[in-house]
Amino acid sequence: MTTQPNTAAPRRGVPIWVQVTIWAALLALLAIVAMGLRRAQQGTVQPGDEIPDFTLTLFDGYTYEGKSQVSFAELRGKVVVINFWASWCKPCEQEAADMEAAWRSYQPGGQVVFLGADYVDTEPEARGYLQKFDITYPNGPDLGTKISQFFRIKGVPETYFIDQQGKLVYVQVGPFSSEAQIHAIIDPLLK
Amino acid sequence: MLADFGFAILVITFVLAIYTIAAALYGHFAAQPKWVESARLAMLLSFPLLTLAALDLTYLLATGDFNVKFVYEVTSLDMPTYLKVTALWGGQSGSLLFWSWLMAAFTTAVTLRKWDRDREFLPWVILVSSVTMAFFLGLNVFFENPFARFWQTFEGVAAYTFKPENGIAFTPENGNGLNPLLRHPGMIIHPPMLYLGFVSFVIPYAFAIAALVTGRTDDRWIRITRRWTLVAWVFLSLGLVLGGRWAYDVLGWGGYWGWDPVEIAAFMPWLTGTAFLHSVMIQEKRGMLKHWNMILVILTYALVVFGTFLTRSGVLSSVHAFAKSAIGPAFFIFIGATFVISVALLIYRWDSLKAEGQMHSMFSREALFLLNNLLFMGILGICFWGVISPLVSELATGAKVTVGPPYYERAAGPLFAALVLLMGIAPLSAWGHVSLSNLANQNGMEMEKRYALGIARLLWKPAIPAVLTLIALLLLGIRNIYALIGLTFVALTTSITLYEFWRAARARSRAQKENFFLALWRLAGRNRRRYGGYVIHLGVILMAIGIIGIEMFQTETQQSLSVGESITLAGYTVQYDSLAQFQAEDGRWVTRAVMSVFRDGKFITELYPRYDVYADGQPMTIPGVRSTLADDLYVLLVNWEGVTSQIAPFKVYHNPLVNWLWLGSFIFIAGTLIAAWPDEEPEHAPARARKSRPAYQPGD
Repeated sequence: MTTQPNTAAPRRGVPIWVQVTIWAALLALLAIVAMGLRRAQQGTVQPGDEIPDFTLTLFDGYTYEGKSQVSFAELRGKVVVINFWASWCKPCEQEAADMEAAWRSYQPGGQVVFLGADYVDTEPEARGYLQKFDITYPNGPDLGTKISQFFRIKGVPETYFIDQQGKLVYVQVGPFSSEAQIHAIIDPLLK
Repeated sequence: MLADFGFAILVITFVLAIYTIAAALYGHFAAQPKWVESARLAMLLSFPLLTLAALDLTYLLATGDFNVKFVYEVTSLDMPTYLKVTALWGGQSGSLLFWSWLMAAFTTAVTLRKWDRDREFLPWVILVSSVTMAFFLGLNVFFENPFARFWQTFEGVAAYTFKPENGIAFTPENGNGLNPLLRHPGMIIHPPMLYLGFVSFVIPYAFAIAALVTGRTDDRWIRITRRWTLVAWVFLSLGLVLGGRWAYDVLGWGGYWGWDPVEIAAFMPWLTGTAFLHSVMIQEKRGMLKHWNMILVILTYALVVFGTFLTRSGVLSSVHAFAKSAIGPAFFIFIGATFVISVALLIYRWDSLKAEGQMHSMFSREALFLLNNLLFMGILGICFWGVISPLVSELATGAKVTVGPPYYERAAGPLFAALVLLMGIAPLSAWGHVSLSNLANQNGMEMEKRYALGIARLLWKPAIPAVLTLIALLLLGIRNIYALIGLTFVALTTSITLYEFWRAARARSRAQKENFFLALWRLAGRNRRRYGGYVIHLGVILMAIGIIGIEMFQTETQQSLSVGESITLAGYTVQYDSLAQFQAEDGRWVTRAVMSVFRDGKFITELYPRYDVYADGQPMTIPGVRSTLADDLYVLLVNWEGVTSQIAPFKVYHNPLVNWLWLGSFIFIAGTLIAAWPDEEPEHAPARARKSRPAYQPGD
């Protein structure tokens, strides 16, 4: 292009530091995307996986054994059912009554604990939902989507069944269509 | 049999694409034009082959051969034929085939053009197109075969491409059926439009890469691909608008755009594409911004692929639930390779992309175009960060932070407003009006001042309607500052654009002694790109009116009504008359309310909001809408607390001006047609070659 042959650097190109920055940014972007992809490919946690400890902070008005928090470690020895839901989730409404009915049938026995984790929601709507379906088992917001990320949920509703040894035994993706379905999963674990 | 035939064709076309790549490369490096020609002919074959494959699959869909897994997934017996046919793009594997077919159509068209003057580009254009083609076909052949069939084996029923050992063909009695949400006219044309937009951006990208590789970095590649870019862009725009219309009609949230990752993924290439369409003009007229145009074209293509990948691989969650599949890693490698090769080439050729002209004035048209580009890039940055931030925050803090509509609206809103204003002012400016030698001395400053005054002189007349609009809005009692600013900008830009038409047509009608309208017609015919562009601007402005209307003035209310009761919103009274529940022919349960709408005590119309539940339990809320240019009354029957014939919950939205959004899009398309209509390609002499031309006057 240039008509002056005595230019000091006829082919300067892109300065090295710019090049390095560009490549670093590009690689960083690809790395981030690759991580996201790996996570997406993993899918939900699988039956047989051991579930480490997590804590669910409960909504006002809900308690577990008098406390406003449930720590998963305290529940060892019991069957734990953790249900992810949201007030904006229409399919969740289909199963809400069945979940509550199942809970009420196990509550007196004390061997099964139901937990509700409210995924990405606003509190007034969530409270309205809980009130509407008269849900009594411990429920709390999934703060910072920490718990749902651990379970790598794909959407709501999803329900996870964990046995007395803290091992995941069953994953239900999508709503239950009857209370009997829930019993069919829990009852064998209680034998 | 037909299924095996279809798969065989896919494999043959895939192999052919590989051959094309090899032949083009060999022909180039061995300097054997006959191999390049062979590659060109091989590329021409891909279109008829893929047409056959697509027809094959369409036939299987139309006849309901549920032995084929894809047919089972997206159709069912109760679906009408037109839906069965269009279900071709209702699922992942079919839409990939459809995508390849569209791309074959475009590459064929480009291969058939006259290449005499651009022989050196040919092998590289063939190479880029064929690599892309081979990639998409490879996805179909290795991961997502649309022709895979069900086989019964000892382990149960599963889909395989080839007959497994001891397998017996298994044909379900009925298919799953297309997702009810997708059974809408808007949804039938929305995906093909987006695909067309995406696919046709391959062509400008291929030429850009060809220009970089060959080092022929003058503006030839831009001149060749100009029309392609415009076509790609209008399809992409249409796809976006149709998607919005579909959301408005079907999703039942009273809106048209939710800043969902998938929407943004389609919007980002539109932003860079729009910026590119503007900045190429600077390169053509002034020989500047060559680097920038290269970056924009590469970015647009990269965003097309990146967006498709992000949303289809399950990396980002979205309301646009695509089936999860194994194509993620393959896509990732393709994207990585595209990015790395493009950036490497760009850095390698950086020096040869030097500008021939220089920016002389802050108010010159090139400076304003640059500002336009910066605004588009600003919006792109906002969008990109919004999309990527869940991934970044997960990495940094362990929590996935998703940003919502308020983030996008607050951050991008002012930039959109600035774009509207710029759209009005830029046409008044002139290309590089002050020469460099003059700029340094007093005389140059003087000229700059005179020029700015010239623009101001042109501005005052069109400013009158804008001021009047502002006063009228204030008198109407509107106090929302954002709406006032937005609508005033809109009025100003409209009046300037119309004034431009009027001024030019009047000058012509006087000079040529023509009737005013004839002059207007001929004027637009002589400079289609400019006047087509202005018409597009008018379309965008009308769309802006709709967007301001619904964003700033939407009101809503929700209430349970007994029969005979009513809700009042924005001067309308909506009365609940009756409710009917019945089963439709296709098996869905329909709950339909009859509502009477009154205004000032006078009956206007009846609306029928519906709540459909499909056989698989999926609900769908169809609004009852009364639509006028002034406003939409949008009534939803919500299944919140259970509907009975006595009492039913309703949600009513009042969406002022929203119809202008759809209306504007028609004008937008008309403008694009004017701008893109084929005409004689000028043999040489771009405007900037005429150096002797005297200094431009403002508004020239």
